[in-house]
Amino acid sequence: MSRYLYDGTVEGLLSAAARIITEEKDPETAVLEERENTLFEEGMFIATDAAAAEVFFQRLRRDVPDAASTFYYFVLAEKEGLETSLLHYLAQALRYGDRVKGNLTHPAVRNVVTVSRKASRELHRMKGLLRFEKLRDGAYLARMEPDCNILQPLALHFSRRLRAEDWFIYDVRRRIAARWHSGSLQIGSIEEFVAPALSDEEKRIQTLWQAFFRTIAIADRKNPGLQKSNMPMKYWKYLTEKQGE
Amino acid sequence: METLDKLQILSGAARYDASCASSGSRRQGPSSDIGNTSQGGICHSWSDDGRCISLLKILLSNDCVYDCAYCVNRSSNPVPRASFIAREVVDLTMEFYRRNYIEGLFLSSAVMKSPDCTMERMVGVAEILRTEERFGGYIHLKIIPGSSSELVHQAGLYADRISVNIELPSQESLKRLAPQKHKQAILEPMSFIGKEIRQSLVERRQSCRAPRFAPAGQSTQMIIGASPESDFQILRLSEGLYRKMNLKRVYYSAFVPVMEDNRLPVLAAPPLLREHRLYQADWLLRFYGFSAAEILSDDAPNLDESFDPKTAWALRHPEFFPVEINRADYGTLLRVPGIGVTSARRIVAARRFSVITPEGLKKIGVVMKRAKYFITCSGRPFEKLDRPPALLRSRLLIGDGSGVAVQEPPKQLLLPGLFA
Repeated sequence: MSRYLYDGTVEGLLSAAARIITEEKDPETAVLEERENTLFEEGMFIATDAAAAEVFFQRLRRDVPDAASTFYYFVLAEKEGLETSLLHYLAQALRYGDRVKGNLTHPAVRNVVTVSRKASRELHRMKGLLRFEKLRDGAYLARMEPDCNILQPLALHFSRRLRAEDWFIYDVRRRIAARWHSGSLQIGSIEEFVAPALSDEEKRIQTLWQAFFRTIAIADRKNPGLQKSNMPMKYWKYLTEKQGE
Repeated sequence: METLDKLQILSGAARYDASCASSGSRRQGPSSDIGNTSQGGICHSWSDDGRCISLLKILLSNDCVYDCAYCVNRSSNPVPRASFIAREVVDLTMEFYRRNYIEGLFLSSAVMKSPDCTMERMVGVAEILRTEERFGGYIHLKIIPGSSSELVHQAGLYADRISVNIELPSQESLKRLAPQKHKQAILEPMSFIGKEIRQSLVERRQSCRAPRFAPAGQSTQMIIGASPESDFQILRLSEGLYRKMNLKRVYYSAFVPVMEDNRLPVLAAPPLLREHRLYQADWLLRFYGFSAAEILSDDAPNLDESFDPKTAWALRHPEFFPVEINRADYGTLLRVPGIGVTSARRIVAARRFSVITPEGLKKIGVVMKRAKYFITCSGRPFEKLDRPPALLRSRLLIGDGSGVAVQEPPKQLLLPGLFA
């Protein structure tokens, strides 16, 4: 059993996986961890090689597209300590092809698939639960605090949907934002966020939506448990219809 | 009247329409200025009754000339009446859509003056959305029974999904409770829509420029518990609709008494459990390869309230079990109570790598609560398989003591808040 270390970045993870899978005789017994620079740390450090990481990811996309997208969502989930599982999963994917996702009795595959499903599920949820507010200058702003780092794929979704508007999506906890302006998308970090003024008509539209939300429910069938299980309370903070309830 | 008042009246009147799907259509690309649709559909919120909100669900008007006994908008009911003009609906849809409140518009209406007159105004709203606003989001249009096929055709060209409500599962009930509606006026547009959808699919295979007709298909809805039909009658009707008319969905809506009428049954609460069981049986028809005749019969025409329809079937067919997890084909796995489409697919996929052990079965996420009485894993059963049927029934009802034991199966789902 060989131990390897990497620097904790996504590129580092990919370069390490690429090297171990091509060079190690039995990559499915190797261990990969993030380097912590402690005195007694064991293992061989694999330096990050951005070019090799890119080549390896392109290889995944070509040969095992489903595993490549599983890897993408796995990274978005920002779950720590599962690098070894990911390494074993990728090694299996390159051996068996994309049908590896069905090998759920294998612990590494199950770990990776479960974590990546968490991010893709939250992305889908957020496509529905994100709420934009119109600003005084005519642009739209949405704030969110998702568990996973889904800003990039979420912004891509809205760049196809709200093509003609200018908008921002701000991840409050990670302090990063996506900006769609005259047809191009930028993603960057925000040092200090100042909430801009809302447009004059915004309050009126929000009141209409809140009224619709109230009246569309059938009082005889009230079911707060079902509502919460479909729409967990952690998302209510920025939901227009849940303000002032 | 202010838009806010109208919105309250006309969304309140639309809430008994169960359909809220925004799936089944892929509308993309530069043919529109704003909006697209997602194949799997997107839910945007969940209202206080726990049902999802994905479309702005409203009536164009609740000013109805019909007098259907079960309906909150019947002409003899003294409720406030309101009608939108097309521009108001269009503006609401666009403003809501830009803020990501909704996936699109669900537009229905009470019958104003005549079916044609109403349908024309509804199609007008969709036309403005698609051509003036160049809106590419989801549109669901309700077809008013009795409107001309030319209008139905136009509706299908603008909308993603169109639907005609069956309302009541038999001609007799229609006659009694909705005297102005006729079976023919409901079924004719349904088969017309079915034909148009099929034809449009053929044309689009030849040319991608051919117009799309209701790309997300058609659905319908019926009210459960307002009339005396048995579950067997209802399921056979649904089966026919799926097989012959190619419907995407049949919605069942538990009857909520909104007014008193001596033609209507008196119910303590809406028959929610019955509605739930019908949906389970509906899923068996569509995804599990069951037929209505397997689920129910003339001797037992109603669904068991204490067991889901698949468990009830399994209890009647002990000869089918046990099913061997490592060998049974997909269709057979689907017949095991507690194993659904996801679990069956996972079992089939995992078997290609290694033999599934009992622990492995739990790890891939198969819920064993009911399944364990009906399966073997490499020949080994989980539970004693020769249990007498009565004991098996009680085990399935109250559990084996390991989980939370339910003493008495609830006859009817109790609604919190109803008696508060």
